[in-house]
Amino acid sequence: MREETMTTPELSFGAGTGAGSAKLRNSSLKKAWKTMGPPGVAFILFIGGWELFCRLSGLKPYLLPKPSDIVQAALENASNLWVSVYTTITEAVLGFLLSIVLGVGFAILLASSKLIERSIYPYAIIMQTIPIVAIAPIIVIWFGAGMNAIIIIAFLIGFFPMLSNTLIGLNSTDHNMKNLFYLYNASSLQTMFRLRLPAALPYIVAGLKISCTLAVIGAIVGEYIAGIGGGNGGLGYAITVASSRLQTAYLFACGLSASLLGIAFFLLVNAFSKWMLSSWHESEMKSSEG
Amino acid sequence: MTNVMTQAKEWVKMERLSKVYPNGTVAVKEVDLSIHEGEFLCFVGPSGCGKSTIFKMITGLSNPSSGTLQVMGKAASEARKQSDTAFVFQDHTLLPWNSVIDNVTLPLALRGVSRKERQQEAERVLEMVGLKDYMRSMPRELSGGMKMRASIARALVARPKLLLMDEPFGALDEITRQTLQIELLELWRQDPEMTVLFVTHNVFEAVFLSTRIAVMTPRPGKVAELIDVPVPFPRDESFRTTPEFGQIVRSVSQALKH
Repeated sequence: MREETMTTPELSFGAGTGAGSAKLRNSSLKKAWKTMGPPGVAFILFIGGWELFCRLSGLKPYLLPKPSDIVQAALENASNLWVSVYTTITEAVLGFLLSIVLGVGFAILLASSKLIERSIYPYAIIMQTIPIVAIAPIIVIWFGAGMNAIIIIAFLIGFFPMLSNTLIGLNSTDHNMKNLFYLYNASSLQTMFRLRLPAALPYIVAGLKISCTLAVIGAIVGEYIAGIGGGNGGLGYAITVASSRLQTAYLFACGLSASLLGIAFFLLVNAFSKWMLSSWHESEMKSSEG
Repeated sequence: MTNVMTQAKEWVKMERLSKVYPNGTVAVKEVDLSIHEGEFLCFVGPSGCGKSTIFKMITGLSNPSSGTLQVMGKAASEARKQSDTAFVFQDHTLLPWNSVIDNVTLPLALRGVSRKERQQEAERVLEMVGLKDYMRSMPRELSGGMKMRASIARALVARPKLLLMDEPFGALDEITRQTLQIELLELWRQDPEMTVLFVTHNVFEAVFLSTRIAVMTPRPGKVAELIDVPVPFPRDESFRTTPEFGQIVRSVSQALKH
């Protein structure tokens, strides 16, 4: 609460008076301009320059489409594009959820016994270094092309960051607090769920932020390898098709959609982590400087 | 209350208690000490005198190398399981993700006490330490002194017979420290059965609080002298300026130089 009054000193200063609130609106507009202005201008200059360059140089659109071509391609194929995006979202979210559940679950298992950790964790690290593209065909053989294989690929790519982050978090509990639980005769289950897991939350959240973007990548890579055609292929499938047909403008539209999807996913997870940690952890508290 | 040592039960009994660490350091050497019900005993000494090691052995966090240590007639690790012992550390060790009330009732929650009873007990102890209005606050919203009060409330929530405090006021400013000393004495006096063992390196703090002081000296850690503080309670700020206070401080300081 204290931080709130510190970040917006105008609020208490000019409360009630019309001049005060106008001043407040003015200053928040200024603030918005300060943060949004420069990148906005840079964006417009970049897009304008790109459009101008293509028009003046006469470059073939299949080599470098104009921004207007990309927008047009996206609008013309809007329904296809939407289906692709929707499919990829579904796969990425399911893979991501799976990586959270299994990543955190395995980390708890490993952290509850030093012996289990020592015997399994090295292999977990080795598995992490195997490029996902290398084992993707095996997954396709086992689970068949399509949704299942893609979800598993998205899951695998997000699983290890979740596992290792959670494990580090579970193993870095404050020593004094562990003593406290020990002295009050807490069972190891109580210590895990009342102390170690909540204390690991900042680490878990860091893992979530890594895994959520990886899950989108995993879903698209999965679609390259195991994507199915027909009415509802994902973005990865749409990209392979567009590139084989030299529909470069649509290819750009797909790529942009994929990155927007990744950004949206990340922002969502970021907001969730803020909500989870805001009441107690330093990393997500409002800072007092403006 | 000042006369408890003659008749009362022995809560902690050390006989030739020693602790030698694997690297050969003798942290504690042949300490003999009996602590009785209702006492307020301070271990005072410089760092490295073994006061924290003795403490760890009483809590059962560390085992004696030789000699015997009995806490309430049992081995330390057994005594802890009776839940008659409570702890306050230098660090407040409040869980940052729990509200004050959930922090304070933690020892009860770990024992499976019902929510209703926990609530009652929390209100009782938070009233005692003057934090009742902050029940729903998060630890980070509290000042250093309030955090320590919450930590003390957590220790008192299970009505302990033995309260172990390891430099609890070490990280606080002098003014807060003095206020909390008076409050702590009040809490102790409310329960005539409660025994407090208090570790500090502050001679003034030790003299102000204790019924008895165990002066410890390092290399190897041992109890150099036991000094009674035969000043009746309640003690208030004026005690700090009496000639008696000064005299006891002098004799403790003298004993520390051995």
